[in-house]
Amino acid sequence: MNRDNGSTVLIVVALCAASLCIIVVSVASGPRLLNPFSMDSETCRTLLSIRLPRTAVALLMGGALGASGAILQGIFRNPLADPYVLGISSGASLAASFGLMFGISLFPFSVPTLAFVGAIATGAAVVVLGHGWKGLQPERLLLAGVGIGFFLSAVLMLVMTISVDDGLKRAILWMSGDLSMVDWELLPVGLLFILTGLGLALIRRKGLNALTLGDDITHSLGFNPTRERFFLFIAASLMTAASVSMGGVVGFIGLVVPHVVRRHVGSDAAVVLPLSVVAGGTLLCLADSIGRTVAAPLELPAGVIAALIGSPYFIFLLGQKKTH
Amino acid sequence: MLLQEIISMTKLEFENVTFSYCSKRFMEQMSFSVAEGELVGLMGPNGAGKSTILKLAAGLLSPQKGRVMVGKRAIGSYCGKERAKLVAYLPQILDLQAPFRVGELVRMGAYPYERSQALTFEEAIHIVGLHGKAKTHLSELSGGERRRAYVAMTLVQGARVLLLDEPLASLDIKYQFDLYRLLKDIVREKGVSVFMSLHDIGMGAMLDRVILVKEGQVVIQGDPGSVLTDEIVQDAFDLNESIDIYMETNRTVCHALAVAACKKGM
Repeated sequence: MNRDNGSTVLIVVALCAASLCIIVVSVASGPRLLNPFSMDSETCRTLLSIRLPRTAVALLMGGALGASGAILQGIFRNPLADPYVLGISSGASLAASFGLMFGISLFPFSVPTLAFVGAIATGAAVVVLGHGWKGLQPERLLLAGVGIGFFLSAVLMLVMTISVDDGLKRAILWMSGDLSMVDWELLPVGLLFILTGLGLALIRRKGLNALTLGDDITHSLGFNPTRERFFLFIAASLMTAASVSMGGVVGFIGLVVPHVVRRHVGSDAAVVLPLSVVAGGTLLCLADSIGRTVAAPLELPAGVIAALIGSPYFIFLLGQKKTH
Repeated sequence: MLLQEIISMTKLEFENVTFSYCSKRFMEQMSFSVAEGELVGLMGPNGAGKSTILKLAAGLLSPQKGRVMVGKRAIGSYCGKERAKLVAYLPQILDLQAPFRVGELVRMGAYPYERSQALTFEEAIHIVGLHGKAKTHLSELSGGERRRAYVAMTLVQGARVLLLDEPLASLDIKYQFDLYRLLKDIVREKGVSVFMSLHDIGMGAMLDRVILVKEGQVVIQGDPGSVLTDEIVQDAFDLNESIDIYMETNRTVCHALAVAACKKGM
């Protein structure tokens, strides 16, 4: 094993160990500390119906956002791309907020379902608008996403302005990344879409690496740039939609986690994608456990805490890069 | 026809190729060929269609009329991986800030293959003179080194036809000579065909053959001594000044150098 592979393995082992520790802390911490050595029926109920599903959702959401960010930064060849730049979150937010503010509860999980439908519909609209005569071009796709995102955000603001009831507060909380309403029943569908998206992205990992070098070289290496971009866009959209539908809009992770991972292990998508899943999931898990503990019984949104933890580290890394 | 048979008789051929874009005709009935193991330069003024010719040869563009053939088959008839094993294309503008390390970039050349190639990424890095820099980020290399890293990637790709769009641009004279020697070795030792666009008349004089194009037409093609003459170059580039091109032909002693000198005041 050469030194390069050795250091990557070391980073993977360290990250997995840190992730396991944070999962244990996340499950145990909260407004009431759970003691695994004295489990009464109340503790068991809290563990099984609140802490475990919440930790699982935080891991899945953070992982999905981290991987989506890594994909989108690659296919757009833009370090500022993140899962929300495509307008997908705006579509999900509008649909979910509509459900929360107008109390739509025609079926179980109507809010996550509405969010998912909104995200997928927005993603489809972005693909249609982003398709030019040369196929799916990154600049066109990006502009379509930004344009649609702004439009949907404006509609959302309009709806929120005219809404006055209790649903408005819930909608605002949801848009800040609210994990307080998660349930085991949310998991299977979310997990299915996230695994599908991640699997698709891993199958297309070589195409993702090639797209980072530009369409001409992608073609020269035997890939069809439009086809690769389309499949990877679908993968990122599925993961983002599943994430947003489970716990609302969590910013920062999709933008920053892939950069941090690349800084330590290089840019090969075969390594960056799975590690972004682990790092993103771990960060959101940590953020959520801090958010529900530090000001208990008040809950701080996980997305806000993730940004507060991650930003200083990201700035530190940028500073280090400058001195190299 | 098996890919192995095609590879054994790789030759790039333009047969009466006509290409238009947005109702503007870029080339008309263009025909030429590049033989196996030949180092051919594509020269001409800006806007002559050099990049378009290379993109057509790479299968990035499709001609409206005529055919671009590689190994007796139209380039568009190959599936992606088959095509990548035959033809590699390096565009003029490379993403020099791509977030990869040299080793990661060079390894990508093996993507068209299921198994590892005869030429490993370590060997390719060594050939282009970047040994010891496999873990260096592209952004930390000089312009010439980055371009050589991309060339190493195409070496690992192992294509029989190498299409290079102005590979010498932005390189200083040392790197130009280094790259020239590298390409010459690949052509001689591996029988690869190299077809590259360039502006430098001195470098053009060192190639096996030069194709001079202007306004989407082949003006003249042949050995550099017969193509790069004062009159032909002056005419092709619409030069107002008259020039003298001195050609040293003793290639065994020193690679031929052409020096274009403006006759001031004429």
